[in-house]
Amino acid sequence: MRRVTFLSVLSLVLLAEGIGCLVVKGGVAGPSAGTDIPFYAGTVLMLLGATSAMFALVIVRNSCRRLQDRITELTSNRKLASLDAGDGQLTPLVQAVNDLIEYAEASVGDAAMKLKEIEIELKVAKARRHHAEAILYSISDAVLVTDSFDELVLANDAAARTFGFDLAAATRRPIESIITDATMVQLIHEMRQSNSTNGWRVVEHQLKGANASRTFKVTLSCVSDRADEPAGVVAVLHDMTKEKEVAEMKNDFVSNVSHELRTPLASIRAYVEMLIDGEADDEKTTREFYEVIQNEANRLGRLIDNILNISRIESGLVKINKQPQSLTVILKEAIEIISPQLKLKQISLEEQLTPVFYQMQADKDMLYQAVLNLLSNSVKYTPEGGRITVQTLVDETKRKVITRISDTGVGIPPKDLPFVFDKFYRAEANNRMAKGTGLGLSLVKHIIETVHRGRIFVESQVGKGSTFGFELYLSE
Amino acid sequence: MNDNKTILVADDESHILHVVSLKLRNAGYRVVTARDGQEALELAQQEKPDLLITDYHMPQLSGLELCQKLKQEVSTSDIPTIMLTARGYHLEPADTEKSGILRMLSKPFSPRHLLATVNEVLGQTIAA
Repeated sequence: MRRVTFLSVLSLVLLAEGIGCLVVKGGVAGPSAGTDIPFYAGTVLMLLGATSAMFALVIVRNSCRRLQDRITELTSNRKLASLDAGDGQLTPLVQAVNDLIEYAEASVGDAAMKLKEIEIELKVAKARRHHAEAILYSISDAVLVTDSFDELVLANDAAARTFGFDLAAATRRPIESIITDATMVQLIHEMRQSNSTNGWRVVEHQLKGANASRTFKVTLSCVSDRADEPAGVVAVLHDMTKEKEVAEMKNDFVSNVSHELRTPLASIRAYVEMLIDGEADDEKTTREFYEVIQNEANRLGRLIDNILNISRIESGLVKINKQPQSLTVILKEAIEIISPQLKLKQISLEEQLTPVFYQMQADKDMLYQAVLNLLSNSVKYTPEGGRITVQTLVDETKRKVITRISDTGVGIPPKDLPFVFDKFYRAEANNRMAKGTGLGLSLVKHIIETVHRGRIFVESQVGKGSTFGFELYLSE
Repeated sequence: MNDNKTILVADDESHILHVVSLKLRNAGYRVVTARDGQEALELAQQEKPDLLITDYHMPQLSGLELCQKLKQEVSTSDIPTIMLTARGYHLEPADTEKSGILRMLSKPFSPRHLLATVNEVLGQTIAA
């Protein structure tokens, strides 16, 4: 740098001297013959000045070129690094550029750090979003999230299934173009317009399906943005169709059970009061009253047993006590118990039973309950003067015994046959014929199939009668 | 004093039918009985009873259906009715209008209370 300064000053001095000489000569018209020394001296000084200026410029240009090459190299390598001062011709300039680079490096460092932080935040946010989405998709309830323009922002598979839309294509589309159910759209509109950021609204709503409508509990709430302003709506739809069906079944069950319990209780209470009031005026009537009370008390007991047993078997709490038993003995006991009802309806009963020595591993109380239920049903659905046949057949090769209880009753319509062993199921036609809880046959099925690993069956013809039967394996 | 009054009792539970009939007969009423709603309808048309006591839940025709059918026919539309029910059933004024049911008794019931209700209903009907 000092060299360039020196050359610059020198060239300026020489140029000044040259110009001075030419001015002293009195013009720049040109040399006169032989005597014009200042003119030549001036010209020489100017040439020397110009040469030293040229020399200085070349030095500066070379330094600039080196500097440019270095910057180009750093740029092409996408690197920020201090520049070498080189031969020192451009030291202040390089120093200034290096200061700038240093500042830029610090800024880039800060920016890189901030970028890193943002990247981490983004990763965390993405992970959270995936997590939230995973939760959302794992929820069996349908979830819809809309923004302040009523456009769908988020939904889960359950929502897509419930409303029948394509999840991938539905995002960012107006909710009314996705959901065809006008009431649901209206509910979302209303919730957004309510601008309520606290609290929610719960509505029971029926969605009509292709085959049947389903009942949903719809919970609507507003989502707010950072400024606590309403920014959209979250709608959660819980399918309560099954719950409602179960509640209805429970309600029917309680109603049926209470009816069934009240009926024998009504007889017991009425006959007891009649006895207290002395309304039975002879011994025969008194005895008849006592018998009614006893029979109805037994009926009440059987009903309570049925309810408790089915509940115990279903909950797995029942204690099963299997011992070698004769089915014939059990059947005879049940027939004896049912005989007052047979007499009352003048129904004849025919027994075709195998000898008592055929035995099987069975829980006597439970098997007795099953047989009694089948017999009691036959009596219930057989008109007065009808006939019941109780038959057992032994299949020695398969080591099993088949029991058939046939009646000349009203029969069961074919459409009801597959469901007669379902809990609470009652054939509409038979419902009008006699009362029941819809529990008896369900209990029989449990006792035969769940407890004794046997098989239950039914055959029936409307107007002709029914045969209920079961197969059980004989003891080895 | 009740000799000239006929009461139709309808219930598919034979024990109930028996005990109610006995209580009413012992009180001097003439009693006719039916085992289901259809039989009760036919008997009501034949006998034109002064009072009907019917169970709510019966085969063929329920107690309520029976009452509504009787109400529709001029000859049987004025039969006052007491209904027995083993189900919780709340009697609305509109039911009386449509079916002629004046009282509802819950099963289990007291035959003594039933007789008192019968006397009261028939007394009111005569006074009216």
